[in-house]
Amino acid sequence: MYEFRFHGRGGQGGRMAAEALALAAFLEGKYAVSFPFFGAERRGAPVRAFTRIDDKKIRTKTQIYEPDAVIVLDESLLETEDVLEGLKDDGVIIINTQRKPEEIELSREVRCATVDATSIALDVLGKAITNTAILGAIAKATGEVGIDSIEKAIIEKFGARLGKEAGEKNAKAARVAYESTVVGKSKGGKQFEPKPQWLPTVDELPLGGSIGTMETYAGLVGIGSFIENKTGGWRVFMPVVNDDKCIGCKICWFYCPEAAIKMVDKGAKTKKAVINYDYCKGCGICANECPTKAISMEREVKA
Amino acid sequence: MNLNDLPEDEYFTSGHTACPGCVAPIIVRNMMKILGKNTVVYTPANCLLVFGGTYPYIAWKVPYFHEAFENTGSSISGAARAFKKKRKDVTVVGIAGDGGTYDIGIQALSGAAERNEDVIYVCYDNEAYMNTGIQRSGSTPYGASTTTTPPGKKIPGKLEHKKDMAEIMRAHEVPYVATMSVSHIADFLRKVEKAKKIKGFRYLHVFSPCPTGWRFDPSKSIEIARKAVDSGMWTLYEAEYGEIMDIYKPKKKIPVEEYIKGQGRFRHFTPEMIEELQKWVDKKWERLYGEKP
Amino acid sequence: MPDKGHKYGEGGESMIQKLEAKKMVITGDHAAAYAALLADVEVVAAYPITPQTLIVEDFATFVDDGITDAEFIMVESEHSAMSAVIGSEAAGARSFTATSSQGLALMHEMLPIASGLHLPIVMPVVNRTVAAPIGIWCEYNDMMPQRDTGWMQMYSEDNQEVLDMVIMGYKIAENHDVLLPIMMGLDAFILSHTVEPVEAPSSDEVADFLPPYKPIAVLDPDNPMAIGTFTPPEYIQELRYQTHRCMKNARKVIYDVTKEFASKFGRNYHGLIEEYETDDAEVILITMGTVTGTARDVVDAYRKQGKKVGLIKLRFFRPFPAEELRKALQNAEVIGVFDRAVSYGVGGPAWIDVKSALYGFDKPVLNFLAGIGGRDIVRGDVEKMFDIMLDAKNGKAKKEIVWINTRGVEE
Repeated sequence: MYEFRFHGRGGQGGRMAAEALALAAFLEGKYAVSFPFFGAERRGAPVRAFTRIDDKKIRTKTQIYEPDAVIVLDESLLETEDVLEGLKDDGVIIINTQRKPEEIELSREVRCATVDATSIALDVLGKAITNTAILGAIAKATGEVGIDSIEKAIIEKFGARLGKEAGEKNAKAARVAYESTVVGKSKGGKQFEPKPQWLPTVDELPLGGSIGTMETYAGLVGIGSFIENKTGGWRVFMPVVNDDKCIGCKICWFYCPEAAIKMVDKGAKTKKAVINYDYCKGCGICANECPTKAISMEREVKA
Repeated sequence: MNLNDLPEDEYFTSGHTACPGCVAPIIVRNMMKILGKNTVVYTPANCLLVFGGTYPYIAWKVPYFHEAFENTGSSISGAARAFKKKRKDVTVVGIAGDGGTYDIGIQALSGAAERNEDVIYVCYDNEAYMNTGIQRSGSTPYGASTTTTPPGKKIPGKLEHKKDMAEIMRAHEVPYVATMSVSHIADFLRKVEKAKKIKGFRYLHVFSPCPTGWRFDPSKSIEIARKAVDSGMWTLYEAEYGEIMDIYKPKKKIPVEEYIKGQGRFRHFTPEMIEELQKWVDKKWERLYGEKP
Repeated sequence: MPDKGHKYGEGGESMIQKLEAKKMVITGDHAAAYAALLADVEVVAAYPITPQTLIVEDFATFVDDGITDAEFIMVESEHSAMSAVIGSEAAGARSFTATSSQGLALMHEMLPIASGLHLPIVMPVVNRTVAAPIGIWCEYNDMMPQRDTGWMQMYSEDNQEVLDMVIMGYKIAENHDVLLPIMMGLDAFILSHTVEPVEAPSSDEVADFLPPYKPIAVLDPDNPMAIGTFTPPEYIQELRYQTHRCMKNARKVIYDVTKEFASKFGRNYHGLIEEYETDDAEVILITMGTVTGTARDVVDAYRKQGKKVGLIKLRFFRPFPAEELRKALQNAEVIGVFDRAVSYGVGGPAWIDVKSALYGFDKPVLNFLAGIGGRDIVRGDVEKMFDIMLDAKNGKAKKEIVWINTRGVEE
C-alpha cells in the first residue's frame, strides 16, 4: 500500500489531481482510492486530498495519517504548517516551486522533489493551474505510477470535463513536468510551533455547544474568536497603498470583505488606508474600486 | 448617513473564511455597523453560516443563532416575540441566501411577513446555492450555468428567468421592502438606517455577486454589482406598505451583454440567449418604471 | 409613510389576573391549554391540526381576553411552530406548542434541534394516526418514531394527568441536570375531546411549585453567545454524550418532581411507571395511555375471580424505565406489553424496548397490538390480553405477537 497526501488551497484542483492519480493507478491494473478532506473549506483556504494505491482491494476506510508521499501544490503552505507531519522516514515530498530541493527548508531532512509546475502550466496551458503538471512530478519522484498512465488518466479525466484538446495539453504539462523534476534532499531543522487545538471533555464543553467568549489553553474561542484565524496566507497578490494618491475617501475600507483596512492618521491632510496583511486575502476589490488608483496589486514574494 | 459617519466598530470580525472577493461579508459587516451591538442575528444554512464560524470559532460579536434552513422567518419570529414579551428592545435580524429565501424558506418568510413580525429579514442574493456547490435556485437568471443547469448539448443552461422575490414581498404590504446593492454605498447605508428605525416587518434584498459561483475575477465583485444595476438586471427601489416610494434609475442604461461579459456562468451565451435576457430586462424595466427603456 | 396596516405592538390593557384553584369538567385539550396558562408560558407558537386545535383556540382566547400577556404566534406550519419556539426559548422565554400526527411528522426535522440546543420546550401531542391512509383517530405512530430525537416522552391516562404533566413537564425539563424538551401524549378524542372532572391548582400554588425559567445559554446582547453553530466532528460526539447523560439524569429528576408534586397537590404519579396490583401478580400487563384505565377495571374484576393479575402503566417512554421494569417484573411469570403502534416486521415499539430491558429474564414477554388507527379498545379486548397471558402461564402460549381484534389474523 502506498499513500499520498496533497496539500493545496481551495480552488487549486488538489482533489482532481488526487483522483487522477488514482485513475492512473487503476489503468495500470492496480486498486486505488482517493478522497478529499471532509470539510467545507472555501476557495483559497488550505485544503488536503488523499490517494491510496495497492495491488489488492483496499478495504481500510480511515483517513491517511502516515503518508508515503506528500505533494505541495502551493509553496506558501510550507511556511504556515509542517507539511511533513506523519510522513514516513523513507517518504518523499514533492513541491511546486522554482527552488531546488536543497534550498527547501523543512522540519526534517527528507527525500525531496521539486518542479516548477506554475511556469510549466503557464507555458503549456496558458494559465497557472498546476494540478496536472504536478502529476508528472509524482510519477518521477515516487515511481508508483508510470508517466504513460498519468497521461492517459489526465486525458480521460480532464478531457471529459474540458474537451479533448485541453485534456491533451494537460497531459503534456505532466510530461514536461516529469522531464524537469529534480529529486534530491531537503534541508531540515525548520521549527513549527504546533497550533494547540481546544479539545474539551464532556464536562468542559458548554452544554449543547452554546458558547460566549472563552479563553482556553488553545487561545480565544467563541464569540468574536475568528479573529485568531489569520487568513493572510491565502493571498497571492497583495494590495499596496500609495499614500501620495490616497485621498482618504474610505471606499476601500467599506469594501474590504475582510475588515482588513483601517484609515490611519499619518499626519497628512486626510487619513490614509492601511492594510492589515494578517487578514487580507488579496481579492483586489480595494484596488479595483479605488477612485484615485492609489492601490496596486503586486505579486507577493513569500519569505 | 455617509461613509464618514459609518461607525468603526466591527461586529463581524476578520478571520472569517469566505472566498476572496465574496460580497456577503461586505454586506454583513457594513449592515451590522448600523444595526449595532443591540442586535441578535440568525442565519439559516448558507455560506455565511459556514464562513462566519466553525466551532469553536465565531466571527460574530453579537448574539448569533442557527436552527435549520427553511425557517428563517419563523425562527426570528420566535426570538423577536420573546424579546417583546420581556420588553427588551433588541433588533432581530435574519440573514438568508437566495435558496433559503426564494425556495425552501419562502413559506416561513411569507408567514412572518404576513404577521408583520418586528424583524429585519435580509436576503443576500448570489443567484444559486453556493454553499452546496453552485446549484440553480429560483433566483438564478435565465441561461446561467450552474452545476444543476450545465450548458449541455440539448439544454443550454437554466431555461427559466429569475423569480422576482422583492415584488413578492412587496405584495405582502409590509412596512418596508428595499432592494439594495453595495455598489451604491449611500443608497445602501440609507436603506439600512431606515430599516433599523421602522417597526414591524422589514425585508432587505441585497444583490451579492459571487466570484466562485459566477466565475469572475474576485476584484470585479463590485464592478459587476454596479453593472447589474446599470443594465437593469437588478433594480434599486424601496416600498412602504406595498407602495414604491423611491426607485433608482441608472443615468445610462447599459445592454445586458455588457453585464454578462466576464462572468463564466454566461460564457456559453448565443446572440439569441442574450436577446432573451435583454427582453426580460426590458419588460421588467417597463413594469417598474412605467415606461419603455 | 402611508397610513396603512396595523401598527406593530399595539395591544389593549393587560388584564392578567390570578387564577383561583378550581374544579372543572373539561376536555384534555382544554386541560393542556389551561396548564400552559398556569405555567405562565411566555411564548406560544402553534398551528391548528385536528384533534389538537382546541389547545390552540383556547390559548388564543386567553391571550385575546387578556388573561395572559404571553405572545401567541399563529404560525403558518408546524415546522415553523417548532422553529419559533426554539427561537423564543433560545431568547430565554418559557415556550409552549402543541401538535398531532402529521404536524409532529412535519416538525421532525426541528425536534433534535430543540434537544441538541437543550431548550426545555413543553409540547402536548394529541396522539393521532399518521397517514397513509389518513385518519384522525388515536394511534401512537406519530410519537413513537420521535423516540431518538432527544425529547422526553410520556403518555397520559386521563385529563387530570394531562394538566398536571404540563406543569411538572416544565419543572422536569428546565432542571439544569436535564434541560431537554418534553412531549406528552394524550389520546386523540379519547382525551382530547372528552370532558371529565379536572382539579386545577391556583396560579399562586403553581408559581410556588414552578419557579421562573433560568436558561444557561441565552441570546442576550449584553452577554453575546453563539447558539447552534456549524460544528466539526471534534466536538459533536461529546455533545451527543451530554444529551445522552441529560436523558439519563432525567430519571431521578422525574421521581423528585412527581414526589414534590404529590406532597404539594396530593396527586401521586410515582415517577416513570405506576404499578397496579403487581405485588403478587403472576401475569402483568404493561399499558400506555388511556387503555390503562380500562385495564385497571379488568384487573379488579379478575382479582375478584381470584386471578393474580396486575398492570404497570408505562408513563415515560423516554427516558425508558428499564431498571424499574426489571424490578417490578422480577416475580411475574408472564409479561404482556400493549402497543398502539407497530415497527413493521418486528412488533410494537414498547415491546421491543421492554424485551431489551428484560434481557436475561427467562419468561414469556408477549406483545398485544390493539387500538391501531383509533379502533376502540373494549374491555373484552383487554380481558383477551389477560386470558392469553394466563394461558401462557399454563404453557399454552400460541404466539408472541398478538394482533388483537384484527380480522383474518389469528390471535
